[in-house]
Amino acid sequence: MSNFSIPGSQSTPAIDGDWDHGTLSMQGDSYPENSYELFQQVFSWVERFLLEAGRPLTLELRLLYLNTSSIKAMMDIFDLLEDAHHEGKPVAVNWRYDPRNERVAELAEEFKEDCTFPFAIVALDSATSTS
Amino acid sequence: MEPFDLFSMRESYNRQQIMLCFNGPISRSLIEEIGNALRNYLAADHAHPSSAMDVFGVYIELTQNIRHYAQQKGWTETDASATVVVARNDAGHYVVSAGNIIEQADGEALLACIDELASLDKAALKARYKEQLRKPREAEAASGAGLGLIDIARKSSAPLQASLRQLTDGRAFVSLRAEI
Repeated sequence: MSNFSIPGSQSTPAIDGDWDHGTLSMQGDSYPENSYELFQQVFSWVERFLLEAGRPLTLELRLLYLNTSSIKAMMDIFDLLEDAHHEGKPVAVNWRYDPRNERVAELAEEFKEDCTFPFAIVALDSATSTS
Repeated sequence: MEPFDLFSMRESYNRQQIMLCFNGPISRSLIEEIGNALRNYLAADHAHPSSAMDVFGVYIELTQNIRHYAQQKGWTETDASATVVVARNDAGHYVVSAGNIIEQADGEALLACIDELASLDKAALKARYKEQLRKPREAEAASGAGLGLIDIARKSSAPLQASLRQLTDGRAFVSLRAEI
């Protein structure tokens, strides 16, 4: 129905929602002062996709540093996916990270703890060799 | 009038191994620009990517907390003044410190909160962090710097330190120090 794209900046991730393919990708750092403004748009898109598209949704993430307000906003998005999963809708997260920075994997791991849908945390080297 | 001489300032900064410091009104773009400089210094200093990210993260939470506080109080941009110092200590750890003007009562509450966090180990800090993350936004706003402080404590290798210096008009200056 509608694609959605926000270019990245120093403190905000590049975000692309592809309605036809059922993917939402986000990459980069996220530490805006007001994360709510930015993430509200992402939240609404995901919410609408899950309600209307009738197709699987996959989040392709290459996020790096997140400030605490971005973490809170991401948790809200993962909660949406969790609810959809309980309703039997296919959702998944692939979070790729550079293995030189284990903090990113730890961050992803803490989100994953609260999710029961497929949530892959993939070191970038192996990610590039398998794709 | 004080004689114009930056030498003693330089000596003092060198002695304290200060990499970067800032004092004055802090805008959103300044936080980003100083953050950029900090990342460059850390890269030049060959900091491990994880520890560089921790230092950067603590810097961001501390400075954004200061701006959020001033906004919450309806203070002007000039009132959102911060004193920020990034240094190394003798053990080679990075130390991020930040200070700002705060209402005396809020300062006392902040110190109590930091004291309490200091008594928690890493596992208890994580539990507290997750609990705070699950609180509704309004509750978070009311309690102020809740999540940010716990995040800073989790990234630190030693308990956070804080002090309060009383000023006039019911205000005080709070100093916070995190050792990564």
